[in-house]
Amino acid sequence: MTSNFTTDQSNITPQPSRRSVLRAVMFTAAAVPLGLPLAACATGGGGGEEATSAAPGGEMDAKNPFGMAENTTIDAVIFDGGYGVDYVEFAGTVLAGLHAGSTAKVSPSTQIATELQPRFVGGNPPDLVDNSGAQSIGFNTILDQLEDLTDIIDAPNVEGTTIRDTLYEGVLAPGTYGDKFAALNYVLTVYGVWYSGSLFEKNGWTPPATWEEAKALGAEAKKAGKYLFLWGTEAATYYQTLAIESAIKEGGDEVRLALENLEPDCWSNDALQATFTIMKEIVDAGYFKPGGSGTQFTAAQAQWSNKQEALLYPSGSWIENEMKDQTAADFQMKGVPSFSVTASPAMPATALHSTAGEPFIVPSQAKSVAGGKELLRVMLSKESATNFSKTKLAPTIVKDIVPADGFGSTALVSQTDMLSAAGTDIFTFNFVNTYGMNQEQLPIWNSFLDGKKSVADLTKELQAITDRIANDDTIDKIEVS
Amino acid sequence: MTAIPGAGQVLPAGEGAAAGPGRGPRRGRPGGWSFDTVSFFVVFLGLPLALFLVFVIWPFVQAAFYALTDWSGFTTEFDVVGLANFTTLLQDPRFVNAVGNSVMFGLFIPLVTIAIALTFAILITVGGSGRGQVRGVRGSGFYRVVSLFPYVIPAIAVGIMWRLILDPSNGLVNGVLTGLGLDRFESFAWLGNVGTAMPVTMFVVVWGFVGFYMLLFIAAIKGVPSEIYEAARIDGAGRWRTSWSITLPLIRDNVQTAFIYLGIIALDLFVYVQALNPQGGPDNSTLVMSQQLFRSAFTEGKFGYASAMGVAMAIVTLVFAALVFTVNRLAGGRNERGRG
Repeated sequence: MTSNFTTDQSNITPQPSRRSVLRAVMFTAAAVPLGLPLAACATGGGGGEEATSAAPGGEMDAKNPFGMAENTTIDAVIFDGGYGVDYVEFAGTVLAGLHAGSTAKVSPSTQIATELQPRFVGGNPPDLVDNSGAQSIGFNTILDQLEDLTDIIDAPNVEGTTIRDTLYEGVLAPGTYGDKFAALNYVLTVYGVWYSGSLFEKNGWTPPATWEEAKALGAEAKKAGKYLFLWGTEAATYYQTLAIESAIKEGGDEVRLALENLEPDCWSNDALQATFTIMKEIVDAGYFKPGGSGTQFTAAQAQWSNKQEALLYPSGSWIENEMKDQTAADFQMKGVPSFSVTASPAMPATALHSTAGEPFIVPSQAKSVAGGKELLRVMLSKESATNFSKTKLAPTIVKDIVPADGFGSTALVSQTDMLSAAGTDIFTFNFVNTYGMNQEQLPIWNSFLDGKKSVADLTKELQAITDRIANDDTIDKIEVS
Repeated sequence: MTAIPGAGQVLPAGEGAAAGPGRGPRRGRPGGWSFDTVSFFVVFLGLPLALFLVFVIWPFVQAAFYALTDWSGFTTEFDVVGLANFTTLLQDPRFVNAVGNSVMFGLFIPLVTIAIALTFAILITVGGSGRGQVRGVRGSGFYRVVSLFPYVIPAIAVGIMWRLILDPSNGLVNGVLTGLGLDRFESFAWLGNVGTAMPVTMFVVVWGFVGFYMLLFIAAIKGVPSEIYEAARIDGAGRWRTSWSITLPLIRDNVQTAFIYLGIIALDLFVYVQALNPQGGPDNSTLVMSQQLFRSAFTEGKFGYASAMGVAMAIVTLVFAALVFTVNRLAGGRNERGRG
């Protein structure tokens, strides 16, 4: 669910029409007594409520490091996607136990941007937001209205250890913008290619490590009346993620930085072209299940996890939880790192794309900034983190939580294995999210996977998006090194 | 979101005119402002007008103002940038493409919907047996009820339902087609091919609206005195001739209103396209203005720019309405002021 490779696109479908919204407004209007002094403008209410970060004080000590006032009701708006919101409610219950009288009010939302936009403008944003999903708020638009969360990292957790010492390496990077640590990404996501352990064992297949092996497996699959891959229309860019991962493994950091910094001809890089070319061969060989460009993405994923019509599916580690109810019995989901292009890549075959996702933010204008931070601190406690991994079968950024049996999940075990095999060869890239490119890339990838675009078309059109953003001076660029 | 035509406008003229408050006895006029008059004006004119100003006109004015700013939507600060948003808009290939798609929807959806609705309406009211009383085809009451069903379903449900029906692997459409032996429709993505995505989207919208407009036309045709039909029939006019020379001219104002209303729906279309093809369709072939507007505002954080798109949409809609009026008048229609 790292925002862009949005898994939880359950939220993309139903938007209220402008008409229905207006109609609702009209109904409300009937109830509004006339002559009520109408707020001047949509922006008029700003600054009405004072920023209460230093607010009516509670005492600061190790048990309450941010000085949350007594009897605070923490207002948390949480993205209701693949992970639901109950893990925050769990932390809220723990918090209520630590601070008698205080509670957390957790409101689920799938429309973070539309729902919170008026609250940000009106100066009364919630105390804690999980700014995730397809409708998340772009970070460049609200960055200066967010608290720096470094003090949470330096605070002791509920068990008394400094939080910084309990986290995996590098997990703060995705939430750091310039020198501001504005978002705490709570969930550790591992990207890879997922398959059914039982199905592979039964047929004597081994998961591929290179694209050539994948192609050979495609031929095997065809013999068994199955496809190698499938895709859903809203998730076509999962294959872009896979292609970029392979290219970075093949060509090293140079490929990654060119893409991240929107360089001219970055999509024409040899490693990327080699990946596109072999993908195109697989498409042309008919190893992709046709019709993906018209299939809703969870329906497509169910064709993989439940009907097992295809062998492999590239995705983030949220996939197990997302498809929990639609996975065949004894599926034994397992993952492998994205494939290498040649036998001698720049990074080892075990190199892994992994990053922290689910960005939690605390708006500076919130009523109880301390409350928002305190709830986050509780979420980072051993108890809350264990609860998350156990119920969602995904690792958090808190290390040493998942036991060797992965709470009975083969996918979770396989994630932990991939992470330890990768060691320090862990990379990530953010340009698609940072500049909001996914929506524009989706139609291109749908056509490519459909077999209607050549590698040259694909390259040209992806480059056009990169170039448009690179040349648009109104968009702030974030230099990546 | 131009004003939705009042119910009176689409009803037969006779019913609309009688309800107007304009021609009543003028008792109070010379005597000045009695309590009756004042309270009447306050309740029936003042209140709706105030609501209209506050909840319709004022947001319009605000949107027009924000269109001149670089407001991000999430802060209280912004700069006025003049017409810069509009010049960017004209050079934005994504928006130009969206306008093109919207115009296609705006052209075809009203045409097809009205053609079908009118045909059904004529069949149900006057298309029946050529002998005896003028009446519709047998079982017309049943058809009338059934054809309204799609309109009763909320737009979003219609969209989701059709998306499932059109699913390449498990959908009803491909199931039936492959069942008939047409193997090329095995896993055919109706919404995923440039050639079919837009027509299919149009079909779904038309499917949703035909019943309602049929009902409107039935009401209009019922307002035509049956003597006219009888006279025409005595003169030897067949069904086709009667429809073309009697029915259509007599209800042309209703057709015009329906055309404009459908055009407004088709130029918006947000709910349908968002349900059928949320990412804009293959090669953005079903991306419409309202979707691009929503993206600019909420995912790209450009409310000023999005407001400019809104203003542009309003202009396109007004131009559309003006075109319909002009075409109708050129084609020999009466002055639209002649009727309610």
